[in-house]
Amino acid sequence: MSRNLLAERETFVVGIGFHQYQRKSKTTYVTLGLTAARAALADAGIEWTDVESAYNGTALLGMGSSRIMLSRLGSTGIPMAQVENASASGSTAVAQACMEVASGQSDVVLAMGVDKPRGGLGAAPGQAGIENLEGGTIVPFTHFALLASEYMSAHGVSAEEVAAVALKNHRNGAHNPYAQRQKVRTMEEIMAEPISGSMTRLQCCPVGEGAAAVIVASGEAIERLGIDRTRAVRVLSSVTRTERLYGPGEGIDAALTAETAGLAFDAASVDPKEVDVLEVHDAFSIEELLYTEALGLCAPGEAASLVASGQFDLGGRCALSPSGGLLAMGHPIGPTGTGQVAEITRQLRGEAGERQQPNAKIGAAHMVGIGAVCVVHVLQA
Amino acid sequence: MQIGPPIVIVGHRCTRCERVAFPPDPYGCEQCGAEADQLEPVELSARGRIHSLATVHRHHDDAMETPFTVATIVLDDGPSVKAVLIGDLAEAAVGTDVVGVTEATGHDDDGIELLDLRFTPAGALSEAVTS
Ligand SMILES: [Zn+2]
Repeated sequence: MSRNLLAERETFVVGIGFHQYQRKSKTTYVTLGLTAARAALADAGIEWTDVESAYNGTALLGMGSSRIMLSRLGSTGIPMAQVENASASGSTAVAQACMEVASGQSDVVLAMGVDKPRGGLGAAPGQAGIENLEGGTIVPFTHFALLASEYMSAHGVSAEEVAAVALKNHRNGAHNPYAQRQKVRTMEEIMAEPISGSMTRLQCCPVGEGAAAVIVASGEAIERLGIDRTRAVRVLSSVTRTERLYGPGEGIDAALTAETAGLAFDAASVDPKEVDVLEVHDAFSIEELLYTEALGLCAPGEAASLVASGQFDLGGRCALSPSGGLLAMGHPIGPTGTGQVAEITRQLRGEAGERQQPNAKIGAAHMVGIGAVCVVHVLQA
Repeated sequence: MQIGPPIVIVGHRCTRCERVAFPPDPYGCEQCGAEADQLEPVELSARGRIHSLATVHRHHDDAMETPFTVATIVLDDGPSVKAVLIGDLAEAAVGTDVVGVTEATGHDDDGIELLDLRFTPAGALSEAVTS
């Protein structure tokens, strides 16, 4: 990244909105998406006619989903595009919106994500014509079960210590009305129902449906439209990286996150240890440990004991996955990354109610996607 | 489990940057960008060490009988592979040496037996051979 435009033109999240993440239902994606978009406009206190451009993160809906949805806010003729970046689609929608505002091309941009499950994910890498030894045996939860095996063996960590991530995130999700799973769980419940390796059902995220939206705006737009500046949250940096080649057996997922986060925190002039609230890609419990370390919040092998001792609880040194994360809030694919930025915004505004991290000033959102991509946003109250 | 002559795995070696990779790739070198015609087949020994392992309890494909165990194996010749482990796995752990074996997985339309590559702990295999 040769230039951080976000350092040159102040860019803010000024509105957030959700449709609850939930199991697949008869609700159309149009209803899901409009619910989130209308909520974000109302939260910002602006009109649809103030919005100059829209990016819609979606991986599963098929082509051309945005206009038929957003035209029900009024056919204003603004540019719209679907953004697909696997699990990070909604993060990339936010990244595009931030770049468009920071560049000066627009003052007010909608970034959102909406998806509904369909049979399988239809991921392109499986169609690349490259045959592996493992055939169809290594699905995502087994990939992460293998990483859990490696982590537990390398650091002398127990399966229960890894599962403590899920215990925490289900507890956080119980206070989030937009979460798909809103139940406090016991360790016995978390450890029941093995899926793969030490990963159990409640240590794997649910993939349902839902929508999330944020309004990204410039300082000029805040003045011109009379938006409440005290509730605007500044985006300090937005960095996307893709996987490189690493040594045999080296942790690809953690290495990619470390590189992306390093660039994002540098661009934001933030020390990762200063982060008060962090949403990470905890699709599987082990991931939160790997990424927390890779993001630089603690040393390799330390995250498990820090989670177990409550340091990453709400009220701890940094609240990890205050929304409940992918594990409890859910992972409807397209919305997830946008939803993370919305949750961090809510936390930095001090409006998260029962799941509020006290005195949160700096937050970050981290997503990874198959393919393999990583997106990190750093935000400041 | 079928034990025969030592199994080799065919990967590729890039003639431009020397990177050895598995699986062989029809498109090009992920390290230096050399085109596919600059990649040559290379035989890799089906011997390595378990880097991580997991027993799969649930699988979406009903044809895969659960539980089964998979591992990431760092081959002695460099690349790492993921594969199914079979045989006596009581002692299998991170760091265990493993070797490739074949397992019959059915027959094709012409009635020819299909074999798939699996890995098994090297210690258990040498006992099986000597007993
Ligand atoms: Zn090469």
